[in-house]
Amino acid sequence: MLVLVLLAPVLSFFIVFNTIPTLWLLGLSFYNYSLTSGMPPEFVGFRNFFAILASKNAIWFDLSRTFTFVLCGVTLQTILGGLLGFLFWGSKNMPGRRIALTMLFAPMVLTPVATGTFFRFIYDPTFGILNYIARAGFGAGSIDFLGDPNLAFWAVLAVDCWMWTPFMTLMTLAALGSVPTAELEAAEIDRVPMWRRLPLVIWHHGKFILMLGILLRTIDSFKTLDLIIPMTKGGPGQNTRLVALELNKQAFESFNMGWSSAYAVLLLLISIAMTSVFIFVLNLRRRRESGS
Amino acid sequence: MPNSRHTGSSILVPRRTLLKGGAALALGSTLGMPFINRLAAQESHPLAGKSIEMNILGIAGWVPSSLGVKMSPLFADYVKEKYGYDVSFQFQEAPFADLFQKAATSLVTRSQEFNIIISDSQWLGALAKPGWILQLNDVIDKNPALNIDWYSKTVVDTYMTYPDGSGDIWGLPQEGDVEALFVRKDWLEDEKEREAFKAKYNAEMPRTFEDFENLTMDEFEKVADFFTRPDEQRWGFAQQYSRVYDFATCAFNNFLWSRGGELWNPETGQVEGVLNTPENAKSLEEYKRWLKYGPPGSTNIGIAEGIDVFTQGKVFSTIQWAAIGPAMITEELKGKVLVVPPPKHTGPSGEAKRIYSMGGQPWVINAFNDEEKMRVAIDFMNWWYQPETALEFARRGGNPCDKATLSRDDFNDINPWNQTYKFMLEDGRSQDFWHDPKYSEMLSIQQEGYSSFVTGQSTDAQAVMDYIACAQQQILYDSGTATEAPSDRCAMTSL
Repeated sequence: MLVLVLLAPVLSFFIVFNTIPTLWLLGLSFYNYSLTSGMPPEFVGFRNFFAILASKNAIWFDLSRTFTFVLCGVTLQTILGGLLGFLFWGSKNMPGRRIALTMLFAPMVLTPVATGTFFRFIYDPTFGILNYIARAGFGAGSIDFLGDPNLAFWAVLAVDCWMWTPFMTLMTLAALGSVPTAELEAAEIDRVPMWRRLPLVIWHHGKFILMLGILLRTIDSFKTLDLIIPMTKGGPGQNTRLVALELNKQAFESFNMGWSSAYAVLLLLISIAMTSVFIFVLNLRRRRESGS
Repeated sequence: MPNSRHTGSSILVPRRTLLKGGAALALGSTLGMPFINRLAAQESHPLAGKSIEMNILGIAGWVPSSLGVKMSPLFADYVKEKYGYDVSFQFQEAPFADLFQKAATSLVTRSQEFNIIISDSQWLGALAKPGWILQLNDVIDKNPALNIDWYSKTVVDTYMTYPDGSGDIWGLPQEGDVEALFVRKDWLEDEKEREAFKAKYNAEMPRTFEDFENLTMDEFEKVADFFTRPDEQRWGFAQQYSRVYDFATCAFNNFLWSRGGELWNPETGQVEGVLNTPENAKSLEEYKRWLKYGPPGSTNIGIAEGIDVFTQGKVFSTIQWAAIGPAMITEELKGKVLVVPPPKHTGPSGEAKRIYSMGGQPWVINAFNDEEKMRVAIDFMNWWYQPETALEFARRGGNPCDKATLSRDDFNDINPWNQTYKFMLEDGRSQDFWHDPKYSEMLSIQQEGYSSFVTGQSTDAQAVMDYIACAQQQILYDSGTATEAPSDRCAMTSL
């Protein structure tokens, strides 16, 4: 009974702000309901889901683009963040380390809309600093980073990496911090080379925190929206149109509440599937150990 | 000697005194009548003695919208004086691309968060159909000051009516707006440039309003080409190609309409077969072809970027909304810019004509306003269209739409763009696109398609037009506006 009483505040919060909206969303996904039509909601069963899955323009292209964005982005951020993490881990006595770390983490705390806006100016082919450097320093012609269909996606991805690599650095530092000093010292005394120490000692202890970082970044990256809107609005054409942008457009520009609810439900299922895979992989070794 | 004498029971008053008294009474009445009238008006106004707070939602970074805001203290003085109540205004704003979202999410909850909204013209249907804004026919009937002689039918069609041609009035023009060609007068008038142009093309460069009034795109192309000098970081012409909001659509519509094309059949809601004609596909190719006279990154040019490249001296000319004349003609550029009618297009029929996109925004009134706020909103409209308010609006850089103000002898001289504004506001030279409640979805498809083509992601103009037409036909068929479903060949279309 006491447990229930103690849990009540958080449970009520969870029910009001999570469970009820999710159930509402689920219910709305079975209706044809447009806010601007002036018509009452009409129950249509699974028609919204079928329409989304059958649409030649909707979910499949956007999903494939989004998965590419997530895969490339998170991989790059993990590698770069890991390297930077090791760099700072190995230089604890470096002068100005704290200032350097503060500066390194700054992009992560900026709002993505502000980041997107100033990178749009940095990338601008006429006035942007990048093109100025390219022209003045290398005599190159103007590069239309956000208007060229071959570059726009990667230009946005680069900004995402600039923003979120510090997060992976932070997670790497946390993971490295979780490695017991005694085991590291023992490895050093035994003269275990670094390339052996990494999988045997460091990865063994730090992997959970690092994988948690990757999981959080994957989910967050899957929802990327606020960076895209100020930079490209999904263009050129549909080149940077990710699933969250399409969902935002359908829900809050076109006000197709039924269709967008169905879309959101599908994305929720995909997110749950991805999270389950991660958790499964994380627990694999533990299961093997408990099995043996 | 007494001034009066008694005769029986009556009091006799000398004639001179009577005359003096009468004159004093007449003078007093004459001088005091406005005050008495004002008192009467104040007493009769239901809000007299009250204090009301109003909220206006407007467009961020948009000069005419901000003028509506900046002039509101004048309204506060006016109603205090005339009706005896106090009013104060709070303002909220959002960029063009987000304003509808901000308004709609509030109105759908029947909120009176925004009492008066500066809407975009295409939103009339989307705001009117769910009953979010007040239908104004009755209001106009009861307020003769709102029964205004507008400058052209285009004004009524664009800012006031939904459905098109129905006579149902939902908005009143806040700011009239048309497309204009802003050109660098100082570049045009440079004698060395003129001689070089004549030597190259054996023709004179246009230099006056009248020269540009008769100019075709073919003739203008020579001027754009002449000033395109990438090695000097100068280009000849900029127009909007951006994927954001309606930027590419408005710019492309200039080509489509002027060359004889149509977006749809508003009576049947038919898009397929109307939009995706081979002629319209050629117009799209033509629209893209003009990219070669623009600076790098022209596919991202929207309103703000267009202002930047022009005011920083990167381009000789740009098609831009007349409404942002104050931003286009900076202090440094005063006297160096000519604002002229954009060129005519020669379509497949061989006829050169000019039909450009209408801009501008109407005022709309929240249908969920309580009685007091509704009354203030209507008083505000009555004040906004008074001749002196309209003139003050024009003097501050706004574009009124009433015939009386636009017909003033001095109107053309108030702002450098006024002559072109009036010229383009005449019927047949500018038009608006759909006011359908589904406009947002239709627009989104178009923006994707045009952006895809101009950036080279899609290379076949006809395929792009087919894709847009089929998708829009489906949207209108689903919403019940179109009577026909997309044809079977639509299954094959894609970007």
